[in-house]
Amino acid sequence: MASVRSTITKLSIVVVAMYGFSYALVPIYDTFCEITGLNGKTNDVAYTGNDIKKENRFVKIKFISNVANSAPLYFEPAVTEMTVQVGKPYNTHYVMKNNSSKQLHTTASPSVTPGKYAEYFKKIECFCFNQQTINSGEIKDLGIQFVVDDDLPTNIGDIVLSYTMFDITNNVMESSKL
Amino acid sequence: MSTNIDHIKEEHHHQPSGLMRWITTTNHKDIGSLYLWFSLLMFFIGGFMALIIRAELFQPGLQLVVPGFFNQMTTMHALIMIFGALMPAFVGLANWQLPMMIGAPDMALPRLNNWSFWILPFAFAMLISTLFFESGGPAAGWTLYPPLSLQGGNSMPFVIFSLHLLGASSILGAINVIATILNMRAPGMTLMKMPIFVWTWLITAFLLIAAMPVLAGAITMLLTDRFYGTSFFTAAGGGDPVLFQHIFWFFGHPEVYILILPAFGIISTIIPAFSRKKLFGYDSMVYATASIALLSFIVWAHHMFTVGMPLAGEIFFMFTTMLIAVPTGVKVFNWVATMWKGSMTFETPMLFSLAFIILFTIGGFSGLMLAITPADFQYHDTYFVVAHFHYVLVPGAIFAVIAAVYYWLPKWTGKMYNETLGKVHFWMTTVFVNITFFPMHFVGLAGMPRRIPDYAVQFTDFNMIASVGAFGFGLSQLLFVYILFQTLRQPVTAADKSWEGAEGLEWTLPSPAPYHSFDTPPKVD
Repeated sequence: MASVRSTITKLSIVVVAMYGFSYALVPIYDTFCEITGLNGKTNDVAYTGNDIKKENRFVKIKFISNVANSAPLYFEPAVTEMTVQVGKPYNTHYVMKNNSSKQLHTTASPSVTPGKYAEYFKKIECFCFNQQTINSGEIKDLGIQFVVDDDLPTNIGDIVLSYTMFDITNNVMESSKL
Repeated sequence: MSTNIDHIKEEHHHQPSGLMRWITTTNHKDIGSLYLWFSLLMFFIGGFMALIIRAELFQPGLQLVVPGFFNQMTTMHALIMIFGALMPAFVGLANWQLPMMIGAPDMALPRLNNWSFWILPFAFAMLISTLFFESGGPAAGWTLYPPLSLQGGNSMPFVIFSLHLLGASSILGAINVIATILNMRAPGMTLMKMPIFVWTWLITAFLLIAAMPVLAGAITMLLTDRFYGTSFFTAAGGGDPVLFQHIFWFFGHPEVYILILPAFGIISTIIPAFSRKKLFGYDSMVYATASIALLSFIVWAHHMFTVGMPLAGEIFFMFTTMLIAVPTGVKVFNWVATMWKGSMTFETPMLFSLAFIILFTIGGFSGLMLAITPADFQYHDTYFVVAHFHYVLVPGAIFAVIAAVYYWLPKWTGKMYNETLGKVHFWMTTVFVNITFFPMHFVGLAGMPRRIPDYAVQFTDFNMIASVGAFGFGLSQLLFVYILFQTLRQPVTAADKSWEGAEGLEWTLPSPAPYHSFDTPPKVD
């Protein structure tokens, strides 16, 4: 039955292709989110450009924080809101304390709300570009330097910058064992 | 005469007897029976879990089970009913009917067929065994959303591996169905002359082949996220849990049509038989089924309107979802038009089919309500959703399976079931299914969330009614089992053409159908 064999071959190709497609959805989704500004993802490498011009308008930035899965961490912004001039770089920082009795490895995940303004919030320097190691009881200042892009539309409300801090000690320990 | 020849053939084949016959069988009828019995067993296991859920929800507060176990019950009930009861039931019907309907001796790939079935008992043994783990079975819902599913107990890799096995079984089964239908039809049976059940199964098989590998991919990513340090869905590593929902529902929505398209085929076979008329609008039925299948791939995000999508996305998924009502409406119209001015009689299979049309349409309408994005924010994850999908799956898909069993039982066994008992079964089932699921619409609209073991006291009355209905529904199905065994004890009396209005090649074979269906292909004009 040559015809049966050819049907099976074609169908098997479809099966393999659809399995591959499920993995292809991952980069497709990322690209889609980047284009549409979905999820409020900000730049995850430092902004180094110099084409942003200072403008005589101001926008309010609010800072909030979360600790994932009740990790033993104190993690709060040093200032909870700033009124910033568009195009001018600013510095601020978050404070983190390790409340556990052992050394922890952490990483932070940023998000901007409303998501469509995420692309105008440029981070020149951010602790979220790296992982942190923090000893028991240690208090750390985690710095951010940012600038608001002058392409930002006018007449918008406040922009909220949120960081979620994850305790990744177990993952780091496991991969160092391997 | 042909029965005699077949008897000689059977002896000539030197089949193993007893258990080995069933383990080694490559016969489409044997494998069909295995699938159907297995599905019945799973239906009762999943149903028992549903009764635990309903018993706990009989009144507010925690009475019988702890919340963790309750969550395991909702998760396992769904997995067992979808992958254990419904899908194997339809594959069983396909095995029995497809070769007989297209005039073929057997399925195209008999040994693969044996494998597709025998994977299932192992997969489900592994799935159900997780309930006896110290950390319990899966409790994150059948959708396995991360991060919750990544934080579960030790059951997670076992559940994922059993889902992989079930997916492999379905894909092998689907390849077999397509290879059979495309290559083994009797001479003269063009595609547009195929019985409508064959058409719906052909389209379902394509859906399986396109959707199941995507599920396999999604759950493999969950597995590597948990055990191999990847970050597809873990936010700590830059992944996104919402991505899982997209991939899952890209599989999940075709999956729900996998559960209903063969049911459409069954209803489109039974309604003409008992209306003594040809199916109205055969061509439009085929095209409607194909359009439903194609649309199922572009509507997935209506399951996740509340995760935060751009407005354009919500509108797109709202309108494409509503578009599905058009081909579905064509089908309902055709069924009604088939009955119009027909000489109708109301035997048990017809009663179940009529109930299917009415009750499935109720489920379809509540689906349309859920498709309205702004309204969905109120309904999302409430009992209204539970009511919706149970209306399309229980008096929808399950009624179709029961109707099919009553309709073809005389052909399979040569024995006629007790019509009076069949009607009693029908009325009990239909009354109790509505007592169970109709009140869920009301508590859902009033805001009762799904997947909770306890609820606010104002929902008590409707929950009590639903629980009473659920136990009544469960007990009515014991009558179904009794009817089946009573039928099997009868002497062979059924006519070759068991129903006056029945059409199709299977009715040209003797009853019970011989072990090998068509050794010489019949001629189709």
